[in-house]
Amino acid sequence: MSFIKELSKGIVKENPIFVIVLGMCPTLAVSTSVQNALGMGLAATFVLMCSNMIISLIKDITPEKIRIPIYIVVIAAFVTIVDMAMAAYVPDLHKSLGIFIPLIVVNCIILGRAEAFASKNNILNSLADAIGMGAGFTLSLTVVATIREILGNGTWLNIQVLPKTYQPMLVAILAPGAFITLGFLMALINLIKERR
Amino acid sequence: MKYYITLTLTLLIFCAVASGILAYVNSLTSPIIADRKAQEEIATRALLIPGAEFTEHKAKADTNFVYYVASKDSTVVGYTFIATGTGYAGPVKTMVGLDKDLKVITIKVTDQAETPGLGANCTKEDFPERFKGRAEAELMVDKDIGPTGIKSLTGATITTRAIANSIRGQILMLKADLDTAGETL
Repeated sequence: MSFIKELSKGIVKENPIFVIVLGMCPTLAVSTSVQNALGMGLAATFVLMCSNMIISLIKDITPEKIRIPIYIVVIAAFVTIVDMAMAAYVPDLHKSLGIFIPLIVVNCIILGRAEAFASKNNILNSLADAIGMGAGFTLSLTVVATIREILGNGTWLNIQVLPKTYQPMLVAILAPGAFITLGFLMALINLIKERR
Repeated sequence: MKYYITLTLTLLIFCAVASGILAYVNSLTSPIIADRKAQEEIATRALLIPGAEFTEHKAKADTNFVYYVASKDSTVVGYTFIATGTGYAGPVKTMVGLDKDLKVITIKVTDQAETPGLGANCTKEDFPERFKGRAEAELMVDKDIGPTGIKSLTGATITTRAIANSIRGQILMLKADLDTAGETL
């Protein structure tokens, strides 16, 4: 029962982006296209799952005083593994994510979940928490990217969805577009919450 | 005191295990990555100057500058090299094919992280057209030398300029090297 609860909370109730407002740097930077958003979301989810499990596993042998450096070593190791594996097996995606893969190390969702959840719960629940948070992150990123890619480039997942004559709204894929889109989405979610 | 030694040792063990795992994964993936990069370069070269054979040359003055001489039936038909410039969001790598008079045949942007919809349009098919047939002196963007220059991408003059300038620099190096090498090629 608690497994399902931990799994589902990340998607809506404790959504990492819209509710906890963690991981803003990758959200703003990578949401220019749906392809990048999915790639970033899945890569971060994988790292989150691995690091949550390991951190939960070693929580009894981790001395309180040096827990943060240990978490960072664990997370950085997994990010480097993902980086190398993607460069070898999915080079196109690796190319388009570029600098953002090493930045997963400092994605505060991952360190935040390690500190707030995995270090206090068992492996199974930590895994559920990671999957839920990862899914929430990927989903939110994809929603932001969908709006920005359609408005700013006329495409969705590189498929032309608006007629060729559509003049792309360039601001949507530039940095200000990320803030505006995020602001509107957060307002929308708050509105829905208040109505309930 | 003993407590701090325990802490240090614990952290040391964690780091050692992590580096061991990384070294293992690196030994698995690095040959694949290197292989893929090499394959990509060979494929791109063949695309730039089709049907030619390529031989590697290192510039005499600067051995970091590597170019390939393309030849058909043992006559030189052109040259290819990689030009790297600094764009809006990091390095932009372009593979360039030149004919034997050092005019651009075509180019291909192989590595970039420019803004999607703006600078990233340099990977679109119609972009190399803007460079075709240009010699070293003509590889300037329109914002710098007026309407005879290369037409910049909308909202991405920086990207276009980075590519044009990097190619121009490499052609100068190639020219210098060909002059010193003389007829030995």
